[in-house]
Amino acid sequence: MSFRIIKPGFLATIQDTGRAGYAEQGLSQSGVADEQAYHWTNYLLGNHFNDAAVELTIGNVEWQALDDMEMVICGADMGFTIDENPIAMWQTALIKEGEVLRCQTSKKNAGLRAIIAVKGGFQSQPAFGSRSVNLREQIGQVIKADETLLTSSLVIQKTITRQIPDYFKPDYTQPLVLRLIPGYQYDDFTEQQIEILLNQHYLLNATSDRTGCRLHGQAIHNVPEKMISEGVTYGSVEITTDGQPIILLKDRPTIGGYPKIGTVMSLDLSQLAQRQAGTQIKFELMTLEQAQQQRREFNLFFGLYN
Amino acid sequence: MLDIKVAGENAIIIYLGNQIAEKVVEDITFFTALLKQELGNVIIDIVPSYTSIMLSYRLDKIDHKSLCEQITMLIENNTLMIKMNQDVLLEIPVLYDADVGLDLADYLHEKSLNLDTLIKLHTERDYLVYGVGFSPAFAYLGTVELRLETARLETPRVKIPAGSVGIADNQTAVYPISSSGGWKIIGRTPLDLSLANPDNINLFKVGGKVRFRPIQLAEFLALGGEI
Repeated sequence: MSFRIIKPGFLATIQDTGRAGYAEQGLSQSGVADEQAYHWTNYLLGNHFNDAAVELTIGNVEWQALDDMEMVICGADMGFTIDENPIAMWQTALIKEGEVLRCQTSKKNAGLRAIIAVKGGFQSQPAFGSRSVNLREQIGQVIKADETLLTSSLVIQKTITRQIPDYFKPDYTQPLVLRLIPGYQYDDFTEQQIEILLNQHYLLNATSDRTGCRLHGQAIHNVPEKMISEGVTYGSVEITTDGQPIILLKDRPTIGGYPKIGTVMSLDLSQLAQRQAGTQIKFELMTLEQAQQQRREFNLFFGLYN
Repeated sequence: MLDIKVAGENAIIIYLGNQIAEKVVEDITFFTALLKQELGNVIIDIVPSYTSIMLSYRLDKIDHKSLCEQITMLIENNTLMIKMNQDVLLEIPVLYDADVGLDLADYLHEKSLNLDTLIKLHTERDYLVYGVGFSPAFAYLGTVELRLETARLETPRVKIPAGSVGIADNQTAVYPISSSGGWKIIGRTPLDLSLANPDNINLFKVGGKVRFRPIQLAEFLALGGEI
């Protein structure tokens, strides 16, 4: 089954949970920028947790279904329609052969990325154990006009509509608190430097992307010198030479040479990936035990590692 | 030296030294292999580089405390280090020429070197892989002869062509894919080191050895190089 792509969208790529086992050779983790929205799509469709979806940034799509398909869109609300009829986010829908899925651009402050998923997942040639596209690494490509986007050939039976309760739906317009697990060079920062980090509201910089988010605020002075390069993780908070934080995301390089004050809890990074430039960001500390507990519950709920 | 720090909710970083040295890289290489062998079922990814080993682990298999205990035990009980077999030497042909060495003329001027001396100094030693990262199959090789050391470009180039061979500080490297970067470019290899050939994923591993071989334009072109 498939879609014919008339307008591909501003930036649309196929993503899954990402690459594991190749960081030693320099391949980044890659994978969906918003794990929460992505896992809800597969959950609602009854898919395997690693089935591939399309991550659409900002919007502007026109895709014609060439078969009947069950689909769901979670994440940023871009005013999606099927043949001009609005469809609800966070809720399964049927698209019939010949019908066209459209959207304009993301509503103001309503998130940056929509996750479009179909029953059984999108199909593409996996590379190094994943379908995730990483443009920085030149692995895979953006979805282009006139291409045929293949999906699973699972036959659609008449299905009931599934949706998630409102209280699970995130509000991407709110300022964001990022919970920081102290780590790496945390002990090398002075109390005063840590206070500067924790006691201010940063603004999210417009130069953020899938590699990382830059924040702007009062500078942390006299940051420890650039250090010997070492492995960095999803959510590592680097403090650059000019005293501003960079939060590393899914397409980050595997190693880096800036000092790091700790790592943001992964579930908060899904929220960060949906925030528009100019959003207020604040840090607060979180213990490792709390973070592990919450991530374990998330993994258990969505059946990850099954 | 052994120091383990939190690197995230499911990641730790193990420090085995605090300065760049061949001996530390040997330890890093050995313990990376040992950890993969002994803890392979809990490790998601492992990133050795220079003085540390970062690893991410499965929260459904192990917790932070017992992982740290197991790693400490493994490392402390293996002080009788067996030298890893690093006999494999990767040879990379390089054309040193101003047409492909974007910074070659400036660099020779800055270092008061002539081209022959540069080629001799850059190709006469085996380099150790200290780290792999920045982009896939980008290997940090060191260390270069003292006379070759140089600072990075003040303004990084937006686009460095694939195959470019550069020097920064006391390290040298090949850019497997075109990318931005601040290394001073002195030549180019005709080999395709990109992941367009998936086998290239295993070209470089920390602890491995690399040597450059100078070639002329005819061989560069014959090997598929493009000017």
